[in-house]
Amino acid sequence: MASPRTYDAIIIGGGHNGLVTAAYLARAGKKVVVLEKRPRVGGAAVTEEVFPGFKFTMFSYVVSLLRPEIIRDLDLPRHGLHVLPLESTVTPMENGDYLAAWGDHDETRRELYRHSPRDAEAYDEYGRLMHFMAQAVKPILAMVPPDPTSFDPRDLFALLRLGKHFRGLGAERLHALFKLMTMSSADFLDEWFETDVLKATKSASGIIGTFLGPRSPGTAYVLLHHYMGELDGVFRAWGFAKGGTGAVSESIASAARGFGAEIRCDAPVARVLVKGGRATGVALENGDEISAKVVVSGLDPRRTFLGLVEEKDLPGEFVADIKRFKFRGSSGKVNLALDALPSFTCMPGIGRQHRGAFSISPSLEYVERAYDDAKYGEFSRRPYMDIVFPSMIDPGMAPPGKHVMSIFVQYAPYNLNGGWTDAKREAFGDAVVNTVEGFAPGFKSHILHRQVITPLDIERITGLSEGNIFQGELALHQLFFMRPAAGWAKFRTPVRAYYQCGAGTHPGGGIMGASGRLAALAILGDGA
Amino acid sequence: MSAARWGGDAIVIGADVNGLVAAHYLARAGRRVLVLEAGQKADTRPDSGWVPPQLVRELGLTGVRIEQPDPWISAPLDGGERLDLSRDVAKSALAIRRLSNADAAKWPEFCTRMRRLASVLEALYVQPAPDVETREIGELLRMASLGLRVRRLGKQTVIDLLRILPMSIAELLDDWFENDTLKGILGAAGVWHLRQGPRAGGTAFNFLHHHVGSAAGVFRPPRSNISQILTALPGVELRRGVTATVAATSGRATGVRVGGEELSTPLVVSSLDPWTTFEPLQAQLDAEFVRAVRNIKSRSIVVRGTATPARPADYTALCVAPSLDHLERAHDDAKYGRTSARPYVEAVAADGRLDLHVQYAAATDANLVEKVAAVLGLPAGQVRLEAPGGHLYHGELTLDQILFMRPVPGWSRYRTPIAGLYLCGPGTHPGGGIAGAAGRNAARVILKETS
Amino acid sequence: MTLRQTPFHQRTAALSEGHAWRRWAGYVVASAYELSHDREYHAIRSSAALFDVSPLYKYMITGRDAARLLDRIVTRDVGKAKVGQVLYTPWCDPEGKVIDDGTISVLADGRYRMTAADPNLRWLHLNAAGLDVKVEEVSEQTAALSLQGPNARAILQNATQQDLASLKYFHLTDAKIRGTPVTISRTGYTGDLGYEIWLDAAQALPVWDALIETGTPHGITPAGMLALDVARIEAGLLLIEVDYFSSKHALIEAQKSSPFELGLGWTVALGKDAFNGKPALVEEKARGPAWQFTGIAVDWDSLERLYAAVGLPPRLPTQAWRTSVPISSGGRQVGYATSGGWSPLLKQYIALAHLEGTFGTPGTAVEMEITVEHHRKRAAARVTKLPFFNPDRKRA
Repeated sequence: MASPRTYDAIIIGGGHNGLVTAAYLARAGKKVVVLEKRPRVGGAAVTEEVFPGFKFTMFSYVVSLLRPEIIRDLDLPRHGLHVLPLESTVTPMENGDYLAAWGDHDETRRELYRHSPRDAEAYDEYGRLMHFMAQAVKPILAMVPPDPTSFDPRDLFALLRLGKHFRGLGAERLHALFKLMTMSSADFLDEWFETDVLKATKSASGIIGTFLGPRSPGTAYVLLHHYMGELDGVFRAWGFAKGGTGAVSESIASAARGFGAEIRCDAPVARVLVKGGRATGVALENGDEISAKVVVSGLDPRRTFLGLVEEKDLPGEFVADIKRFKFRGSSGKVNLALDALPSFTCMPGIGRQHRGAFSISPSLEYVERAYDDAKYGEFSRRPYMDIVFPSMIDPGMAPPGKHVMSIFVQYAPYNLNGGWTDAKREAFGDAVVNTVEGFAPGFKSHILHRQVITPLDIERITGLSEGNIFQGELALHQLFFMRPAAGWAKFRTPVRAYYQCGAGTHPGGGIMGASGRLAALAILGDGA
Repeated sequence: MSAARWGGDAIVIGADVNGLVAAHYLARAGRRVLVLEAGQKADTRPDSGWVPPQLVRELGLTGVRIEQPDPWISAPLDGGERLDLSRDVAKSALAIRRLSNADAAKWPEFCTRMRRLASVLEALYVQPAPDVETREIGELLRMASLGLRVRRLGKQTVIDLLRILPMSIAELLDDWFENDTLKGILGAAGVWHLRQGPRAGGTAFNFLHHHVGSAAGVFRPPRSNISQILTALPGVELRRGVTATVAATSGRATGVRVGGEELSTPLVVSSLDPWTTFEPLQAQLDAEFVRAVRNIKSRSIVVRGTATPARPADYTALCVAPSLDHLERAHDDAKYGRTSARPYVEAVAADGRLDLHVQYAAATDANLVEKVAAVLGLPAGQVRLEAPGGHLYHGELTLDQILFMRPVPGWSRYRTPIAGLYLCGPGTHPGGGIAGAAGRNAARVILKETS
Repeated sequence: MTLRQTPFHQRTAALSEGHAWRRWAGYVVASAYELSHDREYHAIRSSAALFDVSPLYKYMITGRDAARLLDRIVTRDVGKAKVGQVLYTPWCDPEGKVIDDGTISVLADGRYRMTAADPNLRWLHLNAAGLDVKVEEVSEQTAALSLQGPNARAILQNATQQDLASLKYFHLTDAKIRGTPVTISRTGYTGDLGYEIWLDAAQALPVWDALIETGTPHGITPAGMLALDVARIEAGLLLIEVDYFSSKHALIEAQKSSPFELGLGWTVALGKDAFNGKPALVEEKARGPAWQFTGIAVDWDSLERLYAAVGLPPRLPTQAWRTSVPISSGGRQVGYATSGGWSPLLKQYIALAHLEGTFGTPGTAVEMEITVEHHRKRAAARVTKLPFFNPDRKRA
């Protein structure tokens, strides 16, 4: 291989954040190598042909949050990225009715009006407020968090600027922001709406990827996190990447290669080489050693600090903080190959509803009870599900006339009572399929193949600790300058020349790429 | 309607500890104050919670007794034994050692760290909540000095504060301890008066809130006779059995309405809960303000009561919440509007009786009395439970309802949109479970604004 | 799914020659029935035009405190209004910025119908807290027609027994058209003699047919929104989301307007008891509004010269426009026009504009930006009092 013996930077892990970091560093002229343990890049954002002719986005499923500046900076459309809009959300109700949100404002309003005239109005005001809130939080997503424990004038100045930014929002929005940061999504929505199914469906987006229920404080913030995608002039940016989310990873990898980065698959890293408190390179599992000026880990904080380096190289308090960092993977995925689309009782037939999402969140109590099961170590007997049919949006995902169905399922706790076994996995799959069958009788007969993925499977395949797709829960005490640990939220680590760039750093979560980009900027800023 | 004039300067509605504190502060500043209380008889129960020492000093109170039982809590263990936690941190550690060596080893540090955080809250509680919207230099300086004060407690305290406040008590305790009994005792303080379980974010704050005023290692609020002392203190006129509502015209308080009569006065101070105070004034208030007041979460889930055992209890205080899961399951029932199948019960011995705290209860029924009696090992006839009233704290102490968000965002400084009307009850900063701090803060603001 | 259809859709759809439709509050309504809206416009001013205005939001407010609720919300004094009166009024948020504007019909004691351009049910409910009042949305159940123009009275008089000669401007009366009970109010959005007819949606078609039948000899012409837009600019009447933003929709403070800034100072009854925005409006009145809402008439010679310079005759907008156009004075921008167009009646290029402070004084010379063959130019213009056109027959 003609690769140099010494690199400017080694990126451990070819997940989308690692690839983004690699691309930005390479774009700045650095010699970069990405080391991925699996045969393909993408981490949790991969598309695989699980059954002949049927392609699945294995773990993640929709794209909304990918930062537009990354799309622009890396010219991703040229590398094959095309995000197709997901136009609607239909929530089947237990009484056979439904609640739908469509792409058209008038149509959505009319649908809501059917359930509650007051909610139809509140919905617009709520939407405007969330738009503002997302706008208020956006600059924070794009900044390196200041360290409030530090006496460094730069940190103090950054904190002051942050304070000024918030005060500039005006009283009303500032209060709303505090509420969002602290309330449960159910309580927050109670202040706005009376229609239970509307609150259930909205609150469901506040629990995705968390081990919390709609009545748990802190979930209102996640609600906002998911609104973020609707900014930047791309209203209704919830979408599905052509070719699955794997195509997102592939496009970033292609961009990185275009800038000169080297990407090696099947190259698992055993450990980071540390000499005198400074990272000097990595050792691969096959024994090869590669040296570099800086080493960047795109893995989650647990593996970054407790797996790749030795505890003795880290301060004791820091190790304690990382050990306390919560993962608690809570979601699973069921991927189905179908010979025909299912017809839902609430909206019979096959139609445009299949081009959007079906949310199985018929009532707040339904979702809360799903959480109750998980709280005590069981998977939800009747889980919350977000269902999409990628083949309806991108026909290339399945053989002509056939379909793929992607079911994001919550809750499936990583720490299942008695542990996950093959039998439990299938029982979980049955619970999912049977619950869908309740809303779409006859659907089961169309299933050709079924793939059930538990948090343990996610951990085993991708390495993500406890199968948490966000590399750590999006809980208030694990955000911003606390992500992953107080004092170490600036992508640096206690080991010199060792950096972190995964979703376990600020701002974290979702196929957003912001962590990877900010990490690259921090590394370049340090003059690496 | 006849407008009977009250010749004095101010009327305080509500003779609870905050109402009385506010009244006496106003009286000491030379105002003539009338206190109107709906209840016929004085509440003889001890006051629960920290009594800020500033208050005792400034009002020159004598005879104030602040008590904390020792051991401050006991919890039943399997096999008839009990875990006793004492004021002496080392003694508690020794008791904990029987359950877990690891937990015993961590106990002293846990106590110190929590005590340090509680001291930050104490500093915050004896002044109005920081005004985050302010552009006034004085207020900014006050906030900066608070910030500095916290920083001086060390980097670890800053990190703890930021990390712990939004956490759930379950997460906090899981970080530190492994024993269920110990976590049950501590976790119970995290859900006091909240319709939330120990896994809810913000319950760690609630835990610290109830640690305020206690020594390191004591995680139950002190009890005092402050209300009795204040009731007996001369200087204000107190009329009982009088239900009063605020009277106002064109957005300005004109006095109080009692029956068909109006007592006019330029200054009305209410220690009633915000909704009771504002409900009769809705038509004069901004729709959004009314909406905010209506949205205050104050879901009452605690039933209090007394037990009169034939033989005095052989404990000073007993907590029956054997684990965090026990509390969580008790809360699960409340979540769906039911009384806990297995409620959390706490009993404090005082003068031969037991003062009871039962959570989570939607209603008081015979069934619940029996359950509580069974938990305490008493015949049902010896247990009396009160009917659930309004929320004792006039609003849950959730993170969205504290500091500058209490009672409603933008109106945390005791002032109200009705000129001449102030709030001073536990519905305002710093909230319930702190005896008299709200009344004192409110009176100081009033004196500054209405000189 | 299709857009909602008004109760008159069967008739209006049959008339549509150019299939020019537009959305209004989730309904589909005609932009113009004929291929060009010219004839429809001229009918407004010369005979009578019939508009389907059913998409308006309508609320029924009843109960002991109905007037109190409305007085709390709107700026005009509803308590003083007599049964049979109709009030045009804006309403404000607590900061005194306009949320919406519409009419309030006093149908009986304690019984009011409110019309609005935007949904306001939630705002009504929020403000009704603690009051003995019932608020009902009747938008769907109530159909509405607007008959505007010099022949409107004659046509309507032929269709009903009710004496319309005595029905005064901004008053209403109950009546029957072909046996269908209706309410007729002498109101409209054209600044001309005109009436609006309110009725049960189920009876919509017979009433439409009756009016067409009695109106045909008098030149009744169904007309669409394009014609209406020209007429309302001539009449100096505001359009929400075009001439001003609802404070509920505004994204920044600068997008909000007070009634004084919209030329609606006459509707603000500061003498009445507390209402939303009163303290802010009292202050603003004392201070004087920062903006004025006025008419702008473009100087023809200036316009002609600008076009002549590139060898063209003046090109005039064939439809009313709804964009923001800078207005300047001495090279500095002093305001912006929000709607404008050619008035076929006045033979003038007119616009509605917001101008800073004293620039709003009628007669002030200003300049309006015009794009002449892809180049920005400034045409001379004069600030003009509103309305541009105000025939005596409107009130007579």
